[in-house]
Amino acid sequence: MKRHEHLRNLALLAVVGLVLAFASDALSVYMRSFVLFTMMYVVLALSWNIISGFTGYTSFGHVAFYGIGAYACAILVTDYGWHWVPTLGVAAAVAGVIAVAIGYPVLRLKGPYFAIAMLGAAEGTRVIATVWDSLTHGGLGISLPSADTSFQTYYAMLALMVVTVVVAYGVGHSRFGVRLNAIREDEGAAEALGVNATLYKLAAFVLSAIFPAAAGGIQAYKVLYIDPPSVFFVQITIAMALMSMLGGKGTVIGPIVGAVLLYTVQELTWVNFPTAHLIAYGLFIVVIARFMPRGLMGLAIDRGWVRKGMVH
Amino acid sequence: MRDLRKAFGGVRAVDGCSFAVPGGKISGLIGPNGSGKTTTFNLLTGVIRPDDGQVIYKGENITGLKPHQVFSKRITRTFQVTRIFREMTVLENMLSVTGLAVPDRLARERAAELIAFVNLTHLRAEYAGRLSYGQQKLLEFARALMTDPDLILLDEPAAGVNRTLLQHLLEQIHRLQEMGKTIVIVEHDMNVIMNHCERIFVMDYGVKIAEGPPAEIQQNEQVLEAYFGRRRS
Repeated sequence: MKRHEHLRNLALLAVVGLVLAFASDALSVYMRSFVLFTMMYVVLALSWNIISGFTGYTSFGHVAFYGIGAYACAILVTDYGWHWVPTLGVAAAVAGVIAVAIGYPVLRLKGPYFAIAMLGAAEGTRVIATVWDSLTHGGLGISLPSADTSFQTYYAMLALMVVTVVVAYGVGHSRFGVRLNAIREDEGAAEALGVNATLYKLAAFVLSAIFPAAAGGIQAYKVLYIDPPSVFFVQITIAMALMSMLGGKGTVIGPIVGAVLLYTVQELTWVNFPTAHLIAYGLFIVVIARFMPRGLMGLAIDRGWVRKGMVH
Repeated sequence: MRDLRKAFGGVRAVDGCSFAVPGGKISGLIGPNGSGKTTTFNLLTGVIRPDDGQVIYKGENITGLKPHQVFSKRITRTFQVTRIFREMTVLENMLSVTGLAVPDRLARERAAELIAFVNLTHLRAEYAGRLSYGQQKLLEFARALMTDPDLILLDEPAAGVNRTLLQHLLEQIHRLQEMGKTIVIVEHDMNVIMNHCERIFVMDYGVKIAEGPPAEIQQNEQVLEAYFGRRRS
């Protein structure tokens, strides 16, 4: 892509960001919450996409990082009196370190084995959170000090979303991203071309962990109460995966589109049919697998509306 | 390489194989199916570790280095069955190569040059998986040349390729040799080997059974026996 195309995209992002920032006043509390959640899922889907879409290591346990972030924020604010904003940095850092610790052994596994190992890792993190109650208050959960956090968390999530989009865009349009794709396509061949797969995979994994952690932290400060089942919620992983796949795994716009679409549909159906969204998830999975394995972006590419590949 | 040994369970794929590849020339590595040729390539490029023995390149012991490290020594290889990146465009395939400590623009220029070298310019924005088999082979060949390697290992470059394309490929290979590069070709196509290689190494059951120029190899009793069986008198 030429430079002016990158600038155009950046400008577009800036416009969207500004609109969302100024709209916060005009929105009702409910709508603010809705937009915040949508932005959060954009962050989650884009992050998941970095390790699962670009690099091809499908993770079924990414909620672990989200939960770690939530706990980092909650613990530091409640037990140590920190201001909530710096806790997000800690959340991201902790998630990054744990990503390296988990990633180094687990990224040696291929395909389904990696997916299940990550599922195990997520469950393991949930159990640790429940059992290590001297740190996490265990099953009682943590109640953060009461505050009106609606606006602050909205802006924080907006900022996080913008950062995540920029990073995902950067990955998706760089030689780093091309090499991640190469690892996905044929790891052995990529190594034969000089790609240190272990290093690249780990880098992608860490990148995919830090933003969900920050999102988890913001969420904790928003709802002001967390406990293991609510933050280590497997549906969150399913949602990020589905959103990414619906929009187009391995593209940059895909997860964004998927997140907005899926979350909106979910909210609309949830209001009227509380558990219908689970059926909808199942239906979506079938439809995507059967008719559009490369998601909506894949369809767009096939129809010629969008160019193929990242590099032109 | 010296005394290379590699066993997979009870199968001694490479069993004490030693040879020295002459620099700046085109050499051939032949042998019946299962003689250990591809395993040898894999041992040389770090895809698998030898149980025993050493690989020495330009005086340096490179045994046991990982593939990406071997690559950084300016050694590249192609594969028996093409391993291009199917869901990526031709251009992306070219740019996935590392070791190009050059700005993006120069890397793209080199990629464009090489794509033109193999006549794939009109397909540079197409998914590699949509190319014909012959075109994929050319792509893999071009991709291997991105970093201007000194040693090029080609695993059955003629397999499944029509005569015209093969001629084109061979011309490129000779041009590379003229530029001072060392090339080793594993092949079953005897025309290619006998007419284009200066030195030939023959393997059978994991060991080298003969070595020499084409004329000698063609007369060698052991080689004929390996391929055709013992002469019945």
